[in-house]
Amino acid sequence: MVKVGLRSLLTHKLRLLLTTLAIVVGVASVTGTFILTDTINSTFNRIFQDANAGVAVTVQGHQLRGSGDDIGGPAHAPVPRSLLGTVRGVTGVKDAVGILQRNGATFIGSDGKPLGGNGPPTFGTNWVADAELSPFHLREGAAPSSSDDVVIDALTASKHHVVVGQHILIAFLGGAEEQFLVRGIASFGGSDSLGGATFAIFTEATAERVLDGQNMYTRINVSAVSGTADTDLRDRIAATLPSYAEAQTGQQAAAAAEQSTEATISTFIGTPLLVFAFIFLFVGSFLIVNTFNILIAQRTRELALLRVLGATRRQVLASVLLEASLTGLFASGVGVLAGILVASGLTALIGSPAGTTLALQPRSFIIGIVVGTVVTVGATMIPARRATRVPPVAALREALPETQGLPRRRIASGAVVLVLGWIAIGVALSGATGVTLQLLGGGVLAVFIGVALLAPLLVRPLALVLGWPVRRARGAAGLLAGENARRNPRRTALTSAALMIGLALVTSVAVLTASFRASADAAISGALRGDYIVFARGPAFSPQVADALRSDQRLADVSELRVSDILIGSSSQSLVAIDPASENRTLTFETVSGDVGSISQLNTAILDKGEAASSKVHVGDTVTITFPTGPDLRVRVGGIYNTNALASGYIVSLATLAPHVSMQRDFTVLANAAPGVTVADGESALKSDLSHFPLVMAMSRSEYRDFVGTQIDSLLNLVTGLLLLAIIIAVLGIINTLALSVLERTREIGLLRALGMTRGQTRSMVRWESVIIALLGAVLGLVVGVTLGVALVNALYSLGIDHLAIPFGNMLQYAVIAALFGVAAAVFPSIRASRLDVLQAISTE
Amino acid sequence: MRNPPPYMVLMMSTAPEAAQAPVATNAATAAARAVAAVKEYGRGATSVRAVDGITLELARGRFTAIMGPSGSGKSTLLHCMAGLDRLTEGSTYIGDVELGSLSDKELTLLRRAKVGFIFQTFNLVPTLDALDNIVLPLTIAGRKPDQAALDEVVRITGLGDRLSHRPAELSGGQQQRVAAARALVSRPEIIFADEPTGNLDSRASAELLDFLGHAVTDLGQTIAMVTHDPLAASHADRVVFLADGRVVEEMASPTADGILDVMRHLGG
Repeated sequence: MVKVGLRSLLTHKLRLLLTTLAIVVGVASVTGTFILTDTINSTFNRIFQDANAGVAVTVQGHQLRGSGDDIGGPAHAPVPRSLLGTVRGVTGVKDAVGILQRNGATFIGSDGKPLGGNGPPTFGTNWVADAELSPFHLREGAAPSSSDDVVIDALTASKHHVVVGQHILIAFLGGAEEQFLVRGIASFGGSDSLGGATFAIFTEATAERVLDGQNMYTRINVSAVSGTADTDLRDRIAATLPSYAEAQTGQQAAAAAEQSTEATISTFIGTPLLVFAFIFLFVGSFLIVNTFNILIAQRTRELALLRVLGATRRQVLASVLLEASLTGLFASGVGVLAGILVASGLTALIGSPAGTTLALQPRSFIIGIVVGTVVTVGATMIPARRATRVPPVAALREALPETQGLPRRRIASGAVVLVLGWIAIGVALSGATGVTLQLLGGGVLAVFIGVALLAPLLVRPLALVLGWPVRRARGAAGLLAGENARRNPRRTALTSAALMIGLALVTSVAVLTASFRASADAAISGALRGDYIVFARGPAFSPQVADALRSDQRLADVSELRVSDILIGSSSQSLVAIDPASENRTLTFETVSGDVGSISQLNTAILDKGEAASSKVHVGDTVTITFPTGPDLRVRVGGIYNTNALASGYIVSLATLAPHVSMQRDFTVLANAAPGVTVADGESALKSDLSHFPLVMAMSRSEYRDFVGTQIDSLLNLVTGLLLLAIIIAVLGIINTLALSVLERTREIGLLRALGMTRGQTRSMVRWESVIIALLGAVLGLVVGVTLGVALVNALYSLGIDHLAIPFGNMLQYAVIAALFGVAAAVFPSIRASRLDVLQAISTE
Repeated sequence: MRNPPPYMVLMMSTAPEAAQAPVATNAATAAARAVAAVKEYGRGATSVRAVDGITLELARGRFTAIMGPSGSGKSTLLHCMAGLDRLTEGSTYIGDVELGSLSDKELTLLRRAKVGFIFQTFNLVPTLDALDNIVLPLTIAGRKPDQAALDEVVRITGLGDRLSHRPAELSGGQQQRVAAARALVSRPEIIFADEPTGNLDSRASAELLDFLGHAVTDLGQTIAMVTHDPLAASHADRVVFLADGRVVEEMASPTADGILDVMRHLGG
């Protein structure tokens, strides 16, 4: 029986090629993701190790709670400069240096645009003379010595052709842009840079001024005299520290940085890519089920003959599963090799420094091979069990009647799976459980399987409807195309179900983003009263921006939204402060309960209804707010406001906030055109006022609405791009089904040709069958996708997605694209059908 | 056989094609012809001459049976004359049209317009019901069936109550009658039948042959039938015997016994 399995595999190797391709794509994504994340992590780990190599102990403020994981390590509160003297006095300390490092010192190119992307941070820091304690090492030029000197990271230098001796503009979130002389180029931790971050390194005095250091250090790095163990020194230093500061060894700091970096990479790269890899494998498994189903149907007589000759059911099962295992192993093997290519492509794409070697861990390959093989064999179980049910007598029959209709059991199980899927989705979206994402994923999966099980019921009526115009337009070819799509409902259903998955996911994301966009539009219209809005991507900016606008007579009602990191109990939040007079002039808050106007009283806060509900805070309650540096603030909650597009959480007046923060930071500034100034004139005034603040963006209200819309749409485009691969896998499935069907219908096609069907008509027949299958998948996908999307939108109501929008335009587009994919899928099978030799086709057994 | 002479049928026929057909020349009265036809398979020493110089005319409005032992070239000759296969040498005609010079597309259109087929294995399209199968050649050609002609075909095949059934729901005999009706409905110049009774029991065979006989006598249809069944061949007006790719014997108004004699003589 082993021989039978092997022979069958070799005979059908061409037919299995397309199936294999689906597994290859899935496995390549899995393995590629692992290799990619391993490579990124090991690159970062090397940098952190190198940067901390000479550091025995690091002193920082307490880790900011809820600061989240970040590349480079979790965020800590700064420590006062005065602590440096204390640390230096500890026995065993060889040297100690203070390092000030802040995000928001951005190089500006000659075109006035920021250098470096929107994602990675743009750090400013001070030069540390003690090379042992500095992550930076000069590659060219000299250390900064005068107040207008800067040393830049090697990545920015090579990417933007910056050379030692030239001048460069640097913009600061703390103030306007300034010009510096490039004195040197430095590496970070032995690498060109840290991730894609840029570094501007100044003298300590300059850093303190431009980065608004407030007499603080981000950390103090300490080296030990020889013979002193790092841990001993750490403990001795810790004993002298005030309660707000903590000491770690250099190794601990590197490990913390590695850990938080790995977590960040996993959250933003690893997990999303694995989700897509999983989708590819899921779609691929539909292909496998279908291909093996068809192959087994075509081999019915052969299998029956084996039974006649005495093969047991177990032996038949074993021969089919052997074939599946070998296919799976082969495809997975190719898949993991392709995974290396995927990883190296992606590594290059994300801009890793040249010479990065891929981190090839056995784990990446083992998981790829195991997943690919298990998926293949698992998916084959269904058709394999069918193979064992072929009765020996089938060998003697002329032809098996094609299965009509569906067994009740299958309908029942399909319905049960579908209902369970929806229940799981409902529970997951209600937020009642902790494992929401897994439950949601499982529910969506169950819905797809349930629909796929029930889809054969829909194939006949739907194909009849979809086939009607084809019949009208294409005569015999159209008639036969429709009938062929309907002749084996299970096969057609499974083929279109694979397409359904990709389309349903794209559609649900489209519904979500369209609703998001509509909600954002409505929210912006509701909350934003000002003609203009000024904001920065990334960290908040200096009050100088608002001051610059206030001094302009062409603008009025300039009002800032100030922000500060705070703790309420143990939860890390942002506190927003506004000028109460700006209400109704540039912004507006809608009262839910209490009085939103009470914000004008000192030490009174208002709170959005979502946060109020989740933290069970009511009007009249008193809340204690803790600041990173200043004294605590006790506020009375004066009102609850409705979800707002401009701000969320606790809001107080600027006057209430002022005594509690040393560093003023705004995240948004709003303004109106002054009376008698047109909105357009005001806008050009605004933009020229801000020409020295290249990091802030200034927009009119309508520009802002478009901007937010574009941001949302780019999310849709990204997801659609990735899911396109899932759709292409499904198209491979259509090609596969058609090719196998054409083979199966050799006689029939030969007859039609004998009866006078031209090659063109034959091609047309296959093509339209393909289009009908694709449209079936599109209809199922759109329906499932809209339902899923609506469920998601309802669940995200509390996040402010309160408008439901169904993107009919997009959906029509998807259907048309699906039909075109159908046409494309039919190219090869239809040519094959039209080239069949008539005589051979008729006389073929 | 009690059939009237074929030319009488031709004169009585009301079939439009027959009425329009030129009658002046000998060539025109033949529905199909083969002239010095040779079909060779393979090349050089291993080549086989399946058809080895056959010249044959199939007269309009007549029922011709082609017989011969296995490997005598009868099926190959039929395929070549029907435009399903191409000759190595010589020429075949449907009416006045020489098939060798036609492109695949032209051949396809010619088959569609002028040739009907009946196969041993019925070859119905399983997804279509009986009626759709019968009118399939017309549908392919984008023509509407002539309702009167269709009714007549359905009547003489006795398929009236089976028209909405799919092939899987029909007996072998019924399926072959659907195939015969399909061949007849477009009133082709000639119907080629390849062992049409090969898969039928004797009763179903008799019914089918009866039907083919009626098509010739009542409708003036031209039929060429390859068979190895003497009883089936005895329904024809004329039997042509092949052996080793050549015509070796001919018999007009044959009887089953007479055919058997010749077959024994040929060693089939």
